[in-house]
Amino acid sequence: MIQLVHVHKKIDKEQILNDLTLTVHKGSIYGLLGSNGAGKTTMLKTLAGILKQDKGTVTIKGENVYENNDIKQSVFFMPDYPTFMPQYTTRQMAKFFQSIYPNWSEERFMMLGNVFELDMDKKIHTYSKGLQRQAAFWLALSTNPSVFILDEPFDGLDPVIRTKVKNLLVQEVAEREMTVIISSHNLREVEDLCDHIGIIHKGTCILEKDIDDLKSDIHKIQVAFPKDIQEDWKTQLKPVYVEQRGSVYMLIVKGEKQKILADIQTFQPILLDILPLTLEEIFIYEMGDLNYAIQNILLS
Amino acid sequence: MLELDLRSRTPIYEQLVDKLVELIVSGVMVPDEQLPSVRTLAAQLTINPNTIQKAYRELETRGYIYSIKGKGSFVNALNLVQDEGKVKEVLQKLEKIIAEALFLGVKPEEIIQIVENVKLQKGGQ
Repeated sequence: MIQLVHVHKKIDKEQILNDLTLTVHKGSIYGLLGSNGAGKTTMLKTLAGILKQDKGTVTIKGENVYENNDIKQSVFFMPDYPTFMPQYTTRQMAKFFQSIYPNWSEERFMMLGNVFELDMDKKIHTYSKGLQRQAAFWLALSTNPSVFILDEPFDGLDPVIRTKVKNLLVQEVAEREMTVIISSHNLREVEDLCDHIGIIHKGTCILEKDIDDLKSDIHKIQVAFPKDIQEDWKTQLKPVYVEQRGSVYMLIVKGEKQKILADIQTFQPILLDILPLTLEEIFIYEMGDLNYAIQNILLS
Repeated sequence: MLELDLRSRTPIYEQLVDKLVELIVSGVMVPDEQLPSVRTLAAQLTINPNTIQKAYRELETRGYIYSIKGKGSFVNALNLVQDEGKVKEVLQKLEKIIAEALFLGVKPEEIIQIVENVKLQKGGQ
């Protein structure tokens, strides 16, 4: 289990992390969302033991991460811009990682070579952005990490490689209960892959939830009532959002599905459809309540 | 065997449950047949193993499958299924469709005939 408790971090007089508390369970794929400058990368770097928090605790399996070699040997951090030693080839980088990570598997490295189809004797800096990213994944997965931290990992990858990489990740999670933490701006991608999500805003975690719980708590409803019905259904249902198209209403209602349906039935609707919301829509409505500038998350 | 629609609004977990229920109810998967392991399914479909596990747990509480520790999950005999939520859902859908059919001028006898036919085909399950 990974825990950040009341973490504070200042960089150059600026408070980047502000009382951040967050929990990730073993074997989970955790999606970290937030606007630009919300503190995602700082949080990930603190978790990887690259930065030291000013206040609070950062623990993996109950142990502090910073300067803790035992823990860090099983943690792999992939930054948003993968970096390599200058002039190194993939094979040389592999040797380097082998000397640092005791769980390095040569066999796995060779096997993954078939997936990525890169020439391991070519210098990495000569590769394009996407190919460099592939090399980073190749090396990272060969270290058999038990915690894999990825900062904007799918940037620059083509759809085929994207799927291949995701497939490798879910296999590792299924087979070894690897824990994955992904930061991303692509809500669609996070929605498909993650089981838990956390949203960071101005250095604080404002929402942390199981993705399905999040979805079963808010509903989009299309409904039409008979002409003679008064509008008092609104006070009963307390919709977060109402839109009228002709005689059909589109409502966003929070609460338990069965109860909402039962409530609506009492008004004898002539049309009733209930739709699940996408992660993107959930954000707009949930965050709208909190007066947070959620547009940042959607547009960046 | 399972085809998921990643573009759909319906959560993957719900899609999985629905697809498996369909396979079991239609008899494509027979009682005591083993379901694919979480591991295999995760690799095949590229979806989060925790999501699959959750779907399996849900199917178990609804009575569609049973699991044996260390062996995996298996299809339950259909008479053991007690899925009140699904029954309600299906009846509601049926009501909608029947209303539409009657509106289009289908005679009630014709609908009853369909019920009789399906019953015969399925051996009165």
